[in-house]
Amino acid sequence: MSTSQTLLFEIGTEEIPAFDLKAATEKLPQIMEDALGDARIGHGAMEVYSTPRRLAVLVHEVEEATPEVNETFKGPSVAIAFDEAGAPTKAASGFARGKGVDVDALEVREEDGVEYVFATRRIASKQTSTLLPRVLLGVIQSIPWPKSMRWASYRETFSRPVRWLVALLGEDIIPLTFAGAVSGRHTEGHRVLSPAGADIACADGYVEALRTLKIVPTQEERRALIEEAVRAMEADLGESFSVVLPEKTLTEVVNLSEAPTPMLATFDESFLAVPEEIIVDAMLMHQRYFPIYHEGVLTNRFVIVSNGDAAFAHNIIDGNQRVVAARLYDAKFFYEEDLKRPLEAYVEHLDEVVFQEKLGTMRQKTDRVCQLAEKLCLDAEVDAAVAGQVARAARLAKADLVTNAVIEFTSVQGIMGSYYAKACGEDAEVSLAIAEHYKPRFAGDDIPAGEVGKLVAIADKVDTICGLFAIGQLPTGSSDPFALRRAALGVISILLSGVDISLEAAIAASLAIYQEDGISFNAAEAQEAVESFFVTRTKVMLKDSGSSPDAIDAVLAAQVIEPVIIVARTQALDAARKGEPAAFADLSTAYARANNLRDAQAGSLYDAAAFNASEAALASAIEKARTEVNEALAANDYPTALAALSCLRAPIDDFFEETMIMDEDLQVRANRMKLLNAFVEVFANVADFGLLASK
Amino acid sequence: MRLQEFWASQGCVVMQPYDNEVGAGTNAPATTLRALGPDTWRTAYVQGCRRPTDGRYGENPNRLQFYYQFQVLIKPSPDDIQDAYLASLRAIGIDTDAHDVRFVEDDWESPTLGAWGLGWEVWIDGMEVTQFTYFQQVGGFECSPVPVEIAYGLERLTMFVQGVDSVYDIIWAKGPDGVTFTYGDVYLENERQYSKYNFEVADTSFLFKEFADREAECMKTLEAGLPLPAYDSVLKCCHTFNLLDARGVISATERMGYILRVRTLAKACCESYMEHVVGLPADADAKGGER
Repeated sequence: MSTSQTLLFEIGTEEIPAFDLKAATEKLPQIMEDALGDARIGHGAMEVYSTPRRLAVLVHEVEEATPEVNETFKGPSVAIAFDEAGAPTKAASGFARGKGVDVDALEVREEDGVEYVFATRRIASKQTSTLLPRVLLGVIQSIPWPKSMRWASYRETFSRPVRWLVALLGEDIIPLTFAGAVSGRHTEGHRVLSPAGADIACADGYVEALRTLKIVPTQEERRALIEEAVRAMEADLGESFSVVLPEKTLTEVVNLSEAPTPMLATFDESFLAVPEEIIVDAMLMHQRYFPIYHEGVLTNRFVIVSNGDAAFAHNIIDGNQRVVAARLYDAKFFYEEDLKRPLEAYVEHLDEVVFQEKLGTMRQKTDRVCQLAEKLCLDAEVDAAVAGQVARAARLAKADLVTNAVIEFTSVQGIMGSYYAKACGEDAEVSLAIAEHYKPRFAGDDIPAGEVGKLVAIADKVDTICGLFAIGQLPTGSSDPFALRRAALGVISILLSGVDISLEAAIAASLAIYQEDGISFNAAEAQEAVESFFVTRTKVMLKDSGSSPDAIDAVLAAQVIEPVIIVARTQALDAARKGEPAAFADLSTAYARANNLRDAQAGSLYDAAAFNASEAALASAIEKARTEVNEALAANDYPTALAALSCLRAPIDDFFEETMIMDEDLQVRANRMKLLNAFVEVFANVADFGLLASK
Repeated sequence: MRLQEFWASQGCVVMQPYDNEVGAGTNAPATTLRALGPDTWRTAYVQGCRRPTDGRYGENPNRLQFYYQFQVLIKPSPDDIQDAYLASLRAIGIDTDAHDVRFVEDDWESPTLGAWGLGWEVWIDGMEVTQFTYFQQVGGFECSPVPVEIAYGLERLTMFVQGVDSVYDIIWAKGPDGVTFTYGDVYLENERQYSKYNFEVADTSFLFKEFADREAECMKTLEAGLPLPAYDSVLKCCHTFNLLDARGVISATERMGYILRVRTLAKACCESYMEHVVGLPADADAKGGER
């Protein structure tokens, strides 16, 4: 029984980017696990620690030596393993090779009266300490980085330069070198709070040593510390004050410090005259400050998270306040400059901004979106006032992209346009639509609230999707630079909220506009590709919202393209099936049986005169169902269509019960085939019941 | 001056500003070209930088169309470079222990130079004062060994040290007799005039012609195997392009085209430098550098 010790491996670096650090911290345990596993080093639990300047893992109960292996494998019988001359056959050598032993080392033993060859594999026990240098080096090399770099004259790569390594098994240093960094027991401290660093006597003392250096060693702990301090600040500020901590900025801030101290700061109240979205953008995106609201309204207070010495909070707050003042001064200046001209005046400058290299500028996009929006208005049969607002909003939607404020603070696109539109007297609906046409901006975001915004949003998104499909820039795997998937989902959500237009027609219109613009591509192929892209997104959305996959497939088999119809039908089918599970199971079984038996070539013009009673009953039920289904589908009443189909259950069951389809009389048989075809055809426009799994 | 003394004591050749318009200290040949090749190189210099589109007619307290960078380039990058940098801040009177100094991810890329690197922007109490970059590639060539570049924004730093909120309030010199010169005394009129020139006056047909002439001159100089003088033409092209950009006469589509033309020249200079000065076969290295 070997004894065990704790292993410490700390990679000391220059500041690793915040998000990359988070990802690496999450992957490190598995990497260490695999590395130890490959070397067959037994171990216990693992803990990961990380700060911007270090990635560390502690492994408990690391066995001092690897286990000795003594495994025996049974092979082929002697009769098969050796030929007549007693030489090993291919079977024997193959077995030996497979087990990693020499063929001469095979042993013969008797088992149940038959002689077999046996292979024994022995792997000697090794000292863990001799294996670890290679294991740990492998760990460093296995950490994946979105971007990695070289430094000085070394060939090795890492996220940022590696400056020190601490590798201890118990009290002993594991010797290794990576890009000039030689392992030891010295860890660096916090740059300001503990610059001398510390020597780690033994692996178990690591966390305590970091704490003595005033370093908060995990992301979770730093996050909790920030959140707790922020809650305390809110309480101090009084009733209804809240600090907003968006996840992205918080993650960044957590990984921008080794010892975070939240501090409360303020800016001059006069800046509150600037739209709050710009102020928030400047604080969150540019400076990583957290804004403070009072009863939902932005205040002139904010939280900074410092990595400095809290004893100098006064200095640090003062410096940050000056920076934010300069930023807000810029914002205010830009905002006021932008207001000097009407929003309309910026439209012509949109030709300075590229939408997509092959698809031209934002100006061109604006023109296309205007044309498409006009078509959508006709299709939706909105009244003239709304159509006018849509046309105006479509024209102004992108104008703010060339305003100073948006160039400087990109996340406020649309929002600024809305402010500027309001300021120069545009209609309230138009201003709202300008802000809303980017919605939904992310999964779970609201869709535009106003009808004008909805139509402009659809036109904008369909234009983007069709354009990129036309030039073959489809999203692939994880690469979707124009966020086409999100755009498609956005269009679908907006359509589902009750915009009565045909997506198929909108796609065709958009592609036609591109062709008129001189972009050449195969319109039919593009139409099909865009339609199937939307169908796939609709499918994904339905699955995410809990629709059964077989119902979706059954509905899609009827060749529907409009997301609204796909969704309505799938939900109706799921609901109907839930209401009468037995009936649907029977009907799908009968459908599947009919579909298997029938001869699709036979046609469906049966001879009613030759029918027996059950045939005649089925035929009349089919005719009745056909009429009802057609009427129901024309009225978009899918539940009624399903109900009409479910009336076929008894007649088809009777038919199968009473009638022998494969009659010896070929004429009778053919007539029955036709009847089955007629039965299957009724379903064709509704759903493929054969795809419904019986439950 | 104290930055110069500090980096001189670290073994850097203290150079004087390059006498050609550049958009950043990086573009001076002492950085761009010297970043290439295997030789050790250490330099530090002040560089006046021109960014015509950043002009604000002297009305914005933080933005200038002409400003100063203090540029340090050391190849190969020393192991203790971050500590040396922090020491340089202390040398100019910033008590790094009493402030919040941070290294915030900022990857650098120069499309016109075909160059990129990884590093940070350095913040002091939230103010960005320095760009800190490990060059990975210049002119399409992989940097080997890797140089580190430190570019201080001198106005920002001085504003921080002096605690003033407008660049024009910086005290530049104060005589024993109390006579004071501020940054505004020296450069405010300059900003006003150049902003007007850059945005409104510069003759665009002259500039378009200059761009084309300089482009041709660059190629001719390269044919003669002289990358150093050829590089001057690249800088001229860059500046001319920036002026045209400020005049608002380059559309978005043309923009890419011009950037590509400048990059082609810059790459050609780097190739020529590799061949004639470093003495390495340019092609082999270029392949390793593709990314």
